[in-house]
Amino acid sequence: MPGTPLTIIIMEASKVLLDGIVRRNPTFVLVLGMCPTLGTTSSAITGMSMGLATLAVLTCSNAAISAIKNFVPAMVRIPAFIVVIASFVTILQMLMQAWTPALYATLGIFIPLIVVNCILLGRAEAFASKNSVWLSVCDGLGTGAGFTIALTLIGSVRELLGTGAVFGAQIFAADYGALLFVLAPGAFIVLGLLIALFNRITNN
Amino acid sequence: MLEYLAIIFSAILVNNIVFAQFLGICPFIGVSKNLPSALGMGAAVTFVMAVATAVTWLLQHYVLMPLGLVYIQTIAFILVIAVLVQMLEIVMKKTSPGLYAALGVFLPLITTNCAVLGIAIIVAQKDFGFVYSLVYAVATALGFALALTIMAGIRSQLELADVPRPMRGVPVALITAGILAMAFMGFAGIKL
Amino acid sequence: MKSTLLNMILSLTTLTLLVGAALGVVNYFTTEPIAKANEAARHEAIAAILPPFDHLEAQTSGELTVYPAFDGPDLAGLAVETYSDAGFGGRIVLMAGFDADGRLTGYRVLSHAETPGLGAKMDTWFQTDKVIGTDTDIAVRADGGDIDAITGATITSRAFTDAINRARHAFNDYNHGSK
Repeated sequence: MPGTPLTIIIMEASKVLLDGIVRRNPTFVLVLGMCPTLGTTSSAITGMSMGLATLAVLTCSNAAISAIKNFVPAMVRIPAFIVVIASFVTILQMLMQAWTPALYATLGIFIPLIVVNCILLGRAEAFASKNSVWLSVCDGLGTGAGFTIALTLIGSVRELLGTGAVFGAQIFAADYGALLFVLAPGAFIVLGLLIALFNRITNN
Repeated sequence: MLEYLAIIFSAILVNNIVFAQFLGICPFIGVSKNLPSALGMGAAVTFVMAVATAVTWLLQHYVLMPLGLVYIQTIAFILVIAVLVQMLEIVMKKTSPGLYAALGVFLPLITTNCAVLGIAIIVAQKDFGFVYSLVYAVATALGFALALTIMAGIRSQLELADVPRPMRGVPVALITAGILAMAFMGFAGIKL
Repeated sequence: MKSTLLNMILSLTTLTLLVGAALGVVNYFTTEPIAKANEAARHEAIAAILPPFDHLEAQTSGELTVYPAFDGPDLAGLAVETYSDAGFGGRIVLMAGFDADGRLTGYRVLSHAETPGLGAKMDTWFQTDKVIGTDTDIAVRADGGDIDAITGATITSRAFTDAINRARHAFNDYNHGSK
């Protein structure tokens, strides 16, 4: 964007960033990527880690897809996007195995499954394939942050209600926690209630 | 034989893919609004899961492992599944228009159904045998179909209920799923 | 960009080659750190579950690897890398520690593929005096023992006891062999 004043660039970027976090929040508004949202939020820290892992892949894949958008024929666009996303996921897998093996073991199958997280292909198709690299990076960061905040919030609520702690810091005695919230049913119920709460705040 | 019955029981009820493993949630929420489409989706997933697990098993054991390329497993599997779903769609259209009319609309949705890739990866990680993998995949898919069918039945009744406005749609579906997950937890601990 | 057969094949081939090269490079640089990370996890686990020792050996006992730990000339304890294939997510691998008298001094989970929030809790769940300090085979209540299984993960719990008992048999074999 030669000639564009810096303030406009910053305004545009912050709008894209904020959109991803609030107006188009992938979890609470678009209801995408439900599997990791439910499967990795048994505690605040695992939810946040999953969010950050997704943010990293999304930002990289958005940037790469935006950079190659003019060299990819329309008909093979989707396979090309999948190849790009899958390779960043594979790189993430290798890096995590090498430097954060415990976290990699905790998140388990949900790390390779970032490939089929609809958020990534969705942002590639709807945003990165039409916008500049710079804005696509902002979009990746914003959407990733929205996802991370949502997962951290769900993880915190579940950990608090289930074990009386948030990020491992005890708030009330674990004996008063309802284990149900750490288990599978709690994931569905907490997410359902949080989406309802988000609807209540934004729509009414 | 008893071993296979145990896997089937476990994969359908005890460790149901939707209620206990959190895979395939998007179609579970999206396609469970009425019974016919739930059954169609269930059948399509069962079919694709069986074929995809067979093909990725062969890929894993005869290509990736001998060549020391296990680290590209994720990317190889997703490409194979994407191509496979496309091919199934084309073949089905040509050979059995009836089946295509019933399942066709669900096929494109299955590429990004994480249950299919998830099961392919789980089977590879656990190093199951070929037949064992197939039985496991089909049983898991039947568990998915069961979850979808129950959910569709409940949701068609839910249409008639007076749900508070912010809870309508996805939130109430998720809470219903939570209660179903509780029911499914009752199967845990059953000795086989 | 308009799609022609030629440019579709060319662009996908180029992309695949680029990606393949990138993955190869990352794999080359992470192979060693990944192996090191696994090794570090193993040694940290042994140090955490055994009584103090100053010298560690490694040997195979049947299909398992055992790590006799010596404090001077005396056997301080024995760590056993044990497993069970009965886990819901397939194989679970544990490091189990025994003191010289055969009492279980602790365990660490090295790898597993159990359900997060359910079976994955076995790393803390069994740190009770019904498990730690025992010197005979253990079993969950459902199998007639006195250990509470993890809620919603009996299969994992059963696999855990299977792995610990397998380690105990390796300890007994080691003990008989050395006397």
